[in-house]
Amino acid sequence: MSSPARTRPVEDTIPKIENELAIGEDLEFQRRWWRFEHVVWICFTIILALDIAGVFGRGPLSKAHAKTSDGAIHMTYERFARFQTPSLISLHLSPAAVRNGHIQLWVSQSIIKPLGNQRIIPQPATSELAQDGVLYTWPSGVRPDSVDFAIEPSTAGVEHFTVRLPELGDQLTERVIVYP
Amino acid sequence: MAAVFRALFGYCFLVLMVRVVGRRPGKQMAPFDFVLIFFIGGLTLTAMVADDRSLTNAIVQIVTIATGHFILTLLRRKSKKFALFLDGTPLVLLSKSKWYSETLGNMNFSTDDVMAAIRGKGLVNPEGASWAVLERSGSINVIEADDSK
Amino acid sequence: MYTIIHAIIGYFFLLLVVRVMVRRPGGQLTPFEFVIVFLIGGVIILATVGDDHSVTNCTCAIIAVGLVHRVVAIARGKSRTFSRWIDGIPMVLLRNGEWQLEAMEGLRVDPDDVMAAARQKGIRSLDEIKYAVVEKNGSISIIRNSD
Repeated sequence: MSSPARTRPVEDTIPKIENELAIGEDLEFQRRWWRFEHVVWICFTIILALDIAGVFGRGPLSKAHAKTSDGAIHMTYERFARFQTPSLISLHLSPAAVRNGHIQLWVSQSIIKPLGNQRIIPQPATSELAQDGVLYTWPSGVRPDSVDFAIEPSTAGVEHFTVRLPELGDQLTERVIVYP
Repeated sequence: MAAVFRALFGYCFLVLMVRVVGRRPGKQMAPFDFVLIFFIGGLTLTAMVADDRSLTNAIVQIVTIATGHFILTLLRRKSKKFALFLDGTPLVLLSKSKWYSETLGNMNFSTDDVMAAIRGKGLVNPEGASWAVLERSGSINVIEADDSK
Repeated sequence: MYTIIHAIIGYFFLLLVVRVMVRRPGGQLTPFEFVIVFLIGGVIILATVGDDHSVTNCTCAIIAVGLVHRVVAIARGKSRTFSRWIDGIPMVLLRNGEWQLEAMEGLRVDPDDVMAAARQKGIRSLDEIKYAVVEKNGSISIIRNSD
């Protein structure tokens, strides 16, 4: 024997309009909703405009330059980068960077791990850990116009990185904002 | 940990998009609406999965979405305001030979769309209908004019 | 920025594919056609996103698609001509006992389809029908003689 079904009498609960149609229309809510939608679309348009401008990375506003005072290093990088998305830090070294027939470049640890360095073009001959960073050496005979670090940031957030020519003492410290 | 946040963000953003983009008038979802939802959904999942194609990630994110959906449905049942926010309200489009132009305009409907629903009821012109209501589901319900009234 | 352009082009391309595949602009797709559209959609998604799977990129793509859809919806509401192109128009198939052959042949509808729709309304034979109209979404509306 099963217990009887639970019931409840039908009441006139749904609001009527014009005393006839039980519709429960909430026009006040709908008007507010239309205003809300309007605002949402405006925000979306602004977001898209910012995106095209490069504020979220990969656009004209995200490209940045940095130069040392004596012009030994001229660096182009993206000040806004995106998580796990390829980006390029490009260092143009003037001939003055060559000392004793080779070029030595020190980069901070942040380029390796958080900014996720994938490749260095051209490949350095040696790399050694030094002072919370890595020291790269390109031998004589290899005189690159530019050294590129192909990075793929592995964490979102704000990262600072430093590049230095230890033999000249020139260094540049810049900041990258990584969007998720 | 980040996977959970990405999944939650993806789900919530998707719900918002579907709600805000709206749909075309009609009883069922027109094929293009399906396609659009699929397009947006596919883009969402690309963001959620990112480059982590492991089974762990997939399971974590699926569970997150399922939980999120469960909470959403629960909230919708428990709170009238929340249900209103998620589903909207029925809207009158036509009543006793008066078109509700404010509603029609804001929903980007034309009187033709309502006429199609009226014809669907076997009526020839708007005078034959006493009410035309846009339901929350998007379909238009037409109630015939009762001559005996 | 290329993502956004890709997304917008992808949207219109999908719109075109769906439009070309269905007989009526607003009509329903068969399951097989759905599969094709999903396949094409999937490829377009991959092309839109490219190598950048970040939340930022995909969200912007989604917003771009939503915005275009919204603009098209508003254009459809505002302009009759635009609406005709995208959605099509209702067409009369049967009028006062006469089949409109041009409409029927053009849309590839036959009298059986009309009768099937009529039976849904409880109508028993064709002579009870005054008007039969095929709507924008492909469904057939029947208006009886007695009305």
